[in-house]
Amino acid sequence: MSAVLQSLVNQPYKHGFVTKIESDVAPKGLNEDIIRLISAKKNEPEWLLSFRLEAYQKWLTMKEPEWQNVHYPKIDFQAISYYSAPKPKKKLASMDEVDPELLRTFEKLGVPMHERAALAGVAVDVIFDSVSVATTYKQKLAEVGIIFCSISEAVHNHPELIQKYLGTVVPVGDNYFAALNSAVFTDGSFCFIPKGVKCPMDLSTYFRINTEGSGQFERTLIIAEEDAAVSYLEGCTAPRFDTNQLHAAVVELVALDNADIKYSTVQNWYAGDENGIGGIYNFVTKRGLAKGKNSRISWTQVETGSAITWKYPSCILRGDNSVGEFYSVAVTNNYQQADTGTKMIHLGKNTRSTIVSKGISAGHSNSSYRGLVRISPTAEGARNYSQCDSMLIGDQCGAHTFPYIQVHNNSAIVEHEASTSKIGEDQLFYFSQRGIDAEEAVSMIINGFCKDVFQQLPMEFAVEATKLLSFKLEGSVG
Amino acid sequence: MSETVATDYLDCLLKSWSIKSNEPLSWLNQLRARAIDHVSTQRLPTKRDEEWRFTDISALTRLSFQSAQPHTSLRAQDIEHLYLKEAKNSLVFVDGYYSPQLSTHIDPTVLQIGNLSTFLSTHASILESHFGQYARFDNNVFAALNTAFLHDCALIIAPKNTVIAEPVHLLFIATQSEVTSYPRCLIIGESGSNVTFVEDYVSLQEAAYVTNSVTEISLSANAHARHIRIQRESAQAYHLANCAVSLARGSNYQSVSISLGAQISRYNLNVQLIDEAAECAIDGLALISSNQLADTHTSIDHIKPNGISRQQHKCIVNDKAHAVFNGKIIVRPHAQQTNSSQSSRNLLLSKTAQIDTKPQLEIFADDVKCAHGATVGQLDQEEIFYLQSRGLSEATARSLLTYAFGAEIIDRISVSSLRQQLEQTVLNQTRGNKL
Repeated sequence: MSAVLQSLVNQPYKHGFVTKIESDVAPKGLNEDIIRLISAKKNEPEWLLSFRLEAYQKWLTMKEPEWQNVHYPKIDFQAISYYSAPKPKKKLASMDEVDPELLRTFEKLGVPMHERAALAGVAVDVIFDSVSVATTYKQKLAEVGIIFCSISEAVHNHPELIQKYLGTVVPVGDNYFAALNSAVFTDGSFCFIPKGVKCPMDLSTYFRINTEGSGQFERTLIIAEEDAAVSYLEGCTAPRFDTNQLHAAVVELVALDNADIKYSTVQNWYAGDENGIGGIYNFVTKRGLAKGKNSRISWTQVETGSAITWKYPSCILRGDNSVGEFYSVAVTNNYQQADTGTKMIHLGKNTRSTIVSKGISAGHSNSSYRGLVRISPTAEGARNYSQCDSMLIGDQCGAHTFPYIQVHNNSAIVEHEASTSKIGEDQLFYFSQRGIDAEEAVSMIINGFCKDVFQQLPMEFAVEATKLLSFKLEGSVG
Repeated sequence: MSETVATDYLDCLLKSWSIKSNEPLSWLNQLRARAIDHVSTQRLPTKRDEEWRFTDISALTRLSFQSAQPHTSLRAQDIEHLYLKEAKNSLVFVDGYYSPQLSTHIDPTVLQIGNLSTFLSTHASILESHFGQYARFDNNVFAALNTAFLHDCALIIAPKNTVIAEPVHLLFIATQSEVTSYPRCLIIGESGSNVTFVEDYVSLQEAAYVTNSVTEISLSANAHARHIRIQRESAQAYHLANCAVSLARGSNYQSVSISLGAQISRYNLNVQLIDEAAECAIDGLALISSNQLADTHTSIDHIKPNGISRQQHKCIVNDKAHAVFNGKIIVRPHAQQTNSSQSSRNLLLSKTAQIDTKPQLEIFADDVKCAHGATVGQLDQEEIFYLQSRGLSEATARSLLTYAFGAEIIDRISVSSLRQQLEQTVLNQTRGNKL
């Protein structure tokens, strides 16, 4: 059996290719001039430049965090190019004008935009490296008053919204990587759902890192006003390179009274080869502020890629009766390392949070769940339920849980449970009795293990996630 | 600020340290010298250290406690109430110094117990091979201090294939204020032995002092040990304790630790299952009120296959008290068939009480069963209502339910007189509360 499994584990990375588009790359290194250059290239207003410079000053005083359970050689931040944009073309009015090379890339990724846009009814705001090149369905969204565009566009067209919300959930000096992002972010998505509007379709972006040696620093900002609702999907794939690439994104969500934001991610950056060479360093700060009463923020993530994942999508439950949710599947194989989890900060009365985290480790990988549930003295009647399960495949990998529970109010009820298991010989035997081979059995067991999380994903993502998982792990059991 | 002041407590102790020239055995002096070297390179931990994140001992840095000196005015009748009637053998230490007059024993033919000087000449090689071997002090400043100032020790050697029915009482009494005492215990269970011992920390007066204790327990193949640990220090005391346990093949270690006293208490328990099929059960209860802080850090390290561990830790926290629990379970590569479970349950009785709990799993083997759980909550309204419907007052109902929450741990204490004493203590404490 194990020979079959070995071959399956060692399947090459399907999305590994480089698109040859002439890039406009900034010189390597980071200093004030580079930040001014980025800002100038993007025709940014003065206030945004000072936002960047403030973040850069903060970043200079900070130290790279070392508490996480991942190990990697020191990153040389001066060896990274902080700006890379596909060579500017004239403004695009329709899909036909998009560079055919670019379209072929998406074809290979299995994201045919026309099809996806037409059949799935999804507006895809495509981020290719750092500049948004095509936005679809914008008209339709504009009719109901929804703004969905790249953040650089929003800076020019809706500066008052950006100024009001940018950096309010993740301040410029929040942490080392958030400060770096605030200083050098090149593009990202912006989404604004006005009062009382339920977004008629799932919004979606597709990120890709393309130019070798360039870091990707996106910035996403989603605002849902009173009684608004939106479901946002983010998918990531990156081509194969042998030098490690840095990815330090910041995502900020703001939900006002009765608003509902659902943020789903499928992350499949290049994870490095079977010897742990190459792969993306994914250091992401994602945080949602449930600011208004009865607001709800829900994070769902399927993390299968990246050599290193460092990511804690969090909810600050400030509004009374607000709800925070976190559903996560993290899969690591070969020499991948994942340190991921969530923070639920309960501030308002009767706030509720749910955490369901599933970690699967195979090969020589290590996956850690690191979570914080804090019930502050003001959070009367707060409630939390956390569950984190780990599955180990092979005896060379590791699974870790670091759940911090801090309760400062006696009316709170907090529950946490965790378990560790493996795919047992008896389970596989049961399947083979029923005529199901080991490969398929493993895939079914794993999908069952992750079901609680997959159920939370929008339909098309759930399909993709299920495939990704079987593709990544099928046969790692020996 | 605290960085500069922090050196005071250590400096003060460092200056007072000296090797007694008349010490006959050089290995002990070497050990102490090694420990003091480690002390001089370290600083007191602050809240910036992950291991001390929730426990602020900066108050300690402002005090300049000297090492305790022998003090022997205590008479047996003063401590009558502290003796356990089941224990025929008891070793009494006053401020860290052995008191032969107060101790009762001892039939040396069956069980070898005594203090350091009793054994130093006869069992030197055994002592040398165990002392300081389990309680590592290279990154633990308090264990290093204890080792550096080691002057006496409570010793139990349970001989091969011997079952000792009566518990051994190790009683540590604090009588002086503004001093630091260094109790030390070494328990050696030879193969096939079975011993029960009670490690008991008490104070005769409400005073501020520091107890810095280290206990080392080594069980050989198939040895059994029951360890009952009671911490009832003065409400102003600092209690900093380290306990290290090493379990050989097929050995079994059961421990119940109860924390009631001290302003700030910290108990580190490290259990290593160094060979196959070792087993341990660790239970803990912290019952604290006013502005006490009780911190328990445990680590259960499964190094070899087929180990079993079970842990239950409970905290009952009232007033402005703050309980901290950090329970780490490590399953090393190849420690297959490990079965480990851990639960942390916490009861908050007042609005200002605080809990920080972190049950932590680090697993490197695939064929294992590991689970942990943690809950934080208050008394169940329905349970209170049920008892009220049976005619109990609300206060009594609450007190009874709180008591029952703690009793689950206390019931695991095998020494009945001690169990009754503790039950009474818990009842008094829960009844006295403005619930």
